[in-house]
Amino acid sequence: MNEVYLITPVTVNVVVHPGNSSDLGPLEKIMAALVRISAVCHRGVRPLLFRSSLLIRPVAAQKDRDCPYLISAKIHATPSNYAGSGSKAASLHWTGERVLSAVLLGMMPFAYCYPGPAIDYSLAAALTLHGHWGLGQVLTDYVHGDFKVKMASAGLFVLSTVTFAGLCYFNYHDVGICKAVALLWSK
Amino acid sequence: MALLLRTVARQGLYSSRSQFGVVYRHAVPMGTTAKEEMNKFWAKNTGLNRPISPHISIYRWSIPMMMSIFHRGTGVGLSSGISAFAVAALVLPENYPHYLDLIHSMSYGPQFLAFSKFALAFPMAYHTFNGIRHLIWDFGKGFKVPEVYRSGYVVIALTVLTSVALAAM
Repeated sequence: MNEVYLITPVTVNVVVHPGNSSDLGPLEKIMAALVRISAVCHRGVRPLLFRSSLLIRPVAAQKDRDCPYLISAKIHATPSNYAGSGSKAASLHWTGERVLSAVLLGMMPFAYCYPGPAIDYSLAAALTLHGHWGLGQVLTDYVHGDFKVKMASAGLFVLSTVTFAGLCYFNYHDVGICKAVALLWSK
Repeated sequence: MALLLRTVARQGLYSSRSQFGVVYRHAVPMGTTAKEEMNKFWAKNTGLNRPISPHISIYRWSIPMMMSIFHRGTGVGLSSGISAFAVAALVLPENYPHYLDLIHSMSYGPQFLAFSKFALAFPMAYHTFNGIRHLIWDFGKGFKVPEVYRSGYVVIALTVLTSVALAAM
């Protein structure tokens, strides 16, 4: 038996489109060509060594029984007919969390060097929001079930609101956050 | 995987057995969201009163594990502290310097003050430095296991040094 052995120890991510193979990479073209040859030669292509990380293989089939070339096999996580049901909200939230963390980090030396009401209120806002989002992640991890999640989220919202209100009150009617830390460390 | 290609490449399969094409082309999205699926999982398993496999009670604790939960712990602790402070600001009648003087008059000497400064500075410093470590991870850097341990030790060292320095001030 004159068989073609295919050894491809690489990870290949192939999305095969209907019709032609013009937008395939070189390796996939080789594989496709081999399969095509095998179809013509009535032999099988037996891959010897496929890593399990190989996601897709070109699916060889005959269109109208006549011309053997690759047909469609859109094989990836979200098929093309799965339209528009992804929103970027979660991703943007994630980015927002990191940006806020970085901003808060930058506020710290700034508050030390230039204390005053501007940085006081900025710190109040940044600290409250950072804490709100952080506790939100803790809730997501440990609280399950629709009702419990709703209750916990409502409680967190109230807590964060009261915290922000209290900090702003402190900034307005009392010495303010920067001065408070300075006083605490003065003795 | 290899079986798939072998099966498909075999002669005589081409037109009659297009089931793989069918599988791929006629794939439909699931009717439920991820959130719904997660809720269903929890509802079903808590409803059935299934015991949970031991995990944190049996798995060997590692430095990265401990640092991770300590990051969360300090985060929750600091947040609670800030909230408590805010509520106190709203509720208590006197102003901040008044209560500060009250604490100083009650305190048990300079060691108490130094210790309380350390107790405040330590979680703050740890959360800050480990937070920077997290931000570095978010850029995709430092995920190799030795790097994780190394950055972890750096965070611990910086935390101790900073807290001691701040407590001494």
